[in-house]
Amino acid sequence: MAQTTLKQKLGTTAAAAASVVLCAAFLLPVAWMVATSLKSTSEIFAIPPTWSFEPTLEHYQRFAGQARIVSRYINTIIIAIGSSALSVIVGSMCGYALARLRLRGAGVIATLILVSRAIPPIALVVPMYLVFRPLGLLDKHITLIITYTSFLIPYVVWLSRGFFIALPTALEDAALVDGCSRLGAYFRIILPTALPGLAATMIFCIILAWNELLFALILTNREAVTIPVSLAGLAADTEQGALWGPLTAIGTLTVLPIIVFALFVQKYLVTGLAAGATSGATN
Amino acid sequence: MTRLEALGGQTSKVTAPRRNLRRVFEPYVFILPTVIILITLLIYPLFYTLQASLSNFDTFTFSPATFAGFRHYERVLQDNNFWSSVRVTAAYLLAALPLQLALGVSIAFLISVQWPGSKIVRALFIIPMVVTPVVAGSMWKMLLDPLWGYVNYLLTLIGGKPVLWLADTNLALISVVIIDTWRWTPFIILIILAGIVSLDPEPVEAAKVDGANWLQRFVYVILPMLRPVILSAFLVRWLGAIKMFDIIYTATGGGPGNATEVINMYIYDTAFRSLSFERASAMSVLMVLAAFAFTFLFIRFSHWVER
Amino acid sequence: MFASKSRRVFTIFVLTLIVAISSVGLSSAQEQVTIYGMVNDAFARIWLENLVPAFNEKYPNIEVVIDPVPYGELLPKQLLELTSGAPSYDFIVTDDPWLPQLAATGLLMDLKTDLADVTDPDYNWDDFAPGALAAGEWNGGQYSVPVRSNLLLMFYNRTLFEEAGLEEPGEGYSWDDLAADLPQLVRDTDGDGTDDVWGIATYFGRDPLTPTIWQAIFNSNGGQLFDAELNPTFNTPEGIEALQYHIDLAQYGPPGVSAYTFTDTLEAFRQGRVAVMFNWGSVYHGVAINPETTSLTAEQVGVAPLPGGSAVDSSSHRGIWTAAIPREAANPEAAWTFIQWMTSQEGEVFTSATVGQFPARISTLTGEAPQDWLVDVFAAINAGYDAIGQGDMWRPRLPDSDGVQQILALHHSRAMTGDVTPEQALADAEAEIIEFLTDKGYYD
Repeated sequence: MAQTTLKQKLGTTAAAAASVVLCAAFLLPVAWMVATSLKSTSEIFAIPPTWSFEPTLEHYQRFAGQARIVSRYINTIIIAIGSSALSVIVGSMCGYALARLRLRGAGVIATLILVSRAIPPIALVVPMYLVFRPLGLLDKHITLIITYTSFLIPYVVWLSRGFFIALPTALEDAALVDGCSRLGAYFRIILPTALPGLAATMIFCIILAWNELLFALILTNREAVTIPVSLAGLAADTEQGALWGPLTAIGTLTVLPIIVFALFVQKYLVTGLAAGATSGATN
Repeated sequence: MTRLEALGGQTSKVTAPRRNLRRVFEPYVFILPTVIILITLLIYPLFYTLQASLSNFDTFTFSPATFAGFRHYERVLQDNNFWSSVRVTAAYLLAALPLQLALGVSIAFLISVQWPGSKIVRALFIIPMVVTPVVAGSMWKMLLDPLWGYVNYLLTLIGGKPVLWLADTNLALISVVIIDTWRWTPFIILIILAGIVSLDPEPVEAAKVDGANWLQRFVYVILPMLRPVILSAFLVRWLGAIKMFDIIYTATGGGPGNATEVINMYIYDTAFRSLSFERASAMSVLMVLAAFAFTFLFIRFSHWVER
Repeated sequence: MFASKSRRVFTIFVLTLIVAISSVGLSSAQEQVTIYGMVNDAFARIWLENLVPAFNEKYPNIEVVIDPVPYGELLPKQLLELTSGAPSYDFIVTDDPWLPQLAATGLLMDLKTDLADVTDPDYNWDDFAPGALAAGEWNGGQYSVPVRSNLLLMFYNRTLFEEAGLEEPGEGYSWDDLAADLPQLVRDTDGDGTDDVWGIATYFGRDPLTPTIWQAIFNSNGGQLFDAELNPTFNTPEGIEALQYHIDLAQYGPPGVSAYTFTDTLEAFRQGRVAVMFNWGSVYHGVAINPETTSLTAEQVGVAPLPGGSAVDSSSHRGIWTAAIPREAANPEAAWTFIQWMTSQEGEVFTSATVGQFPARISTLTGEAPQDWLVDVFAAINAGYDAIGQGDMWRPRLPDSDGVQQILALHHSRAMTGDVTPEQALADAEAEIIEFLTDKGYYD
């Protein structure tokens, strides 16, 4: 008996060590990005590369107090959260129907929704521009929120469909017997039960929306421009070149909020997805 | 199961026609918002793309002008660059998807082991996905730079020779696959991990009692149970991968030659650089059709495997 | 009765008040105008911070709003903006090869004729260097005017030339001279057995701007991409030779130079690792003056046009940013006031001294340089204008200029990596360009 525990302990320690090493390997490029953002330009271009350096905030100061960057930050937050929330609410209803309700052609509908993600964004953005412009909808937060749902909803439908299949049926049956309508039962009983899974889905949606570039580039000019557009400008600077310092600095600033958010909801991240992933492909 | 449920509903209660009607229409209330949003947003762009692919496109008004038949499709199918981009895309998918799946499943298994810091490690794995593609591409370009990059420096430290990661025709696509794997393996890890955590623990315990070691348990017990999760992760990843190009755009620009020009990048350049919207549209249509066909096959295959 | 009467009086009173207030508001609104411009992200900020305030000192009633767009998506955005309904911009700033595409829509104003009435009588069109002004011409109309003159120039690191025991490039420096110098500029300065400074960095990787280097070499030897009927004329022994020359240059670059485009080139030169760089003139400030971006000083950095060939004794290529005004713009006069100010002699002196952009007027270029470091730059630009004028050194003047450059870039890159021979690359490029232009209806 004691031998097994020892063996188990050893196994756990080995697994822990290995996962820390692997995690570090995946994080190394990001760590490099953060380190580079804190180096002076001459240290960035040292040959051979340096390991220790005098940290400086000069590259961050470039953005501090730039009204444009701050407002674009706020735009990005509004648009990412808005589009993700809308997608999760709407998409999860669909996912529920496809998973639980008797629906003619559910499989075909699910496949079609999934495949709509394969349309090249370039084929969507130009016609969208042509429609939105005469309607006066360019450069509005709501426009980006709505258009982002076009690529987020399929994602939500596909994942949430999995969660609902895994959910026990007893709860909603009880609600239905109590005289609730399906819709009432859904919002009162089912949605709260699936909340952790939906929270995880929402994190993925936020990440996708947070980094979206092409729609933001074409559909905004001034008021609703997002951070990825600023980054694209920095990376394609035709005067100074892509300056490594500023680029890594704003890159770090962009990653930070999501990391904080992810650590905050890490509990949901694994338990939430669990149900969805296991049964996602079983039906 | 849903059918049984429905039958039960019909027999247990006094069947009122209104109730039946509600049963039929109710599901559509649930899918309606999604369908309306997707159709509103996608139907016109799809129609426009289809129309543009069949017309002589007028760049001066940005609209399809006269009907051109299948001329653009013919041109696309005779275009060496198109077929080259199809080959590059296929090579990238064949290398990246299995690699990411294998790595993702193994790492997920590894970090599914509980220890005091395991939750933090799991959450940290999300970070590579968060880095904006433009930054991720530039960042890797810098890391792989033969002059100032850390990767070659580390190589020389351990006695290797400096390598031209992005400038060498044969290596460039491999480098792209490495970057893509770094970026998207975490997605697979998180989904598979979620699957592992929610597995029924009983068969695993039973195998343990029977004296199976961890590798045997993984290969013969856990992996088969995970098959549906793996397939589902694969589907989502596959549909993301076929339209990937942002990283390539910043890291190699499709070069050297057309070594890293994937189909979606070629469509982008044709539309926005060469301003040949009609050809870009024809390629988009072909790409969506191909994506649909393959996805359908994958889903069929997954059903077949489960049975 | 009484109540309704008083209400009527009250209504009239209120209406009068509203009319009075709004007429005051209107008259002041007429004076105060806001104009909107779509500008390359790379210089939008410096315009906002330095250029606009200076303009507003003289014209406080014109507010200038500048929207930056990243370079890569600027052309499609401007094209969409122009072609789909009432323009939301009063001026757009566009790159050299894009102007024909934008002008061909018929949606830009001809600045010389449409705005003649509101042009300052002192605004001297003839003072512009003809090669520079040509960047805004299309089909005989003047659809835009140079605001940010830019040419391919040769930058050289004087210290590295000196250390290698070489004379720095002077008048009449030729491609052969460069070929002779380059091997000696690759050196191991710290004696550890590996080279650590190199001869050259420039565009070699896959990029629409990479062929401009080949084009400059080809043009300076008398070659042209097309004849008058748009038949490709570059698949010739001279064209192949120029391509081979460009490819061979990469032997003398740092490791990985074969993938270099704009940024890598710039960084290698700014960090003092290469002796020669071919790049756009507008990088000069960031290369020689601004300590935040460069390790070099103005004394170290020499600047001149690219070397000369058999037909023209120096070479360059044009990449001038010009400003245009949409035909349906809301405030074309105010926009033209801003652009005139910026491109007047006074404006050019100001912008070259503070915004780091180069003039297109002969009087500015030959006049007293507003900053010491601009003396060399002005001389190089002057010589560059001569060269481009003599050798027609610019990208094809067609609406589909970028499409042609895109095809050239691909096949250039294939030759660069050794996938195909230069002969094969140019033959493929020729065939593809003919197919592309046929498709676009150029030979109808």
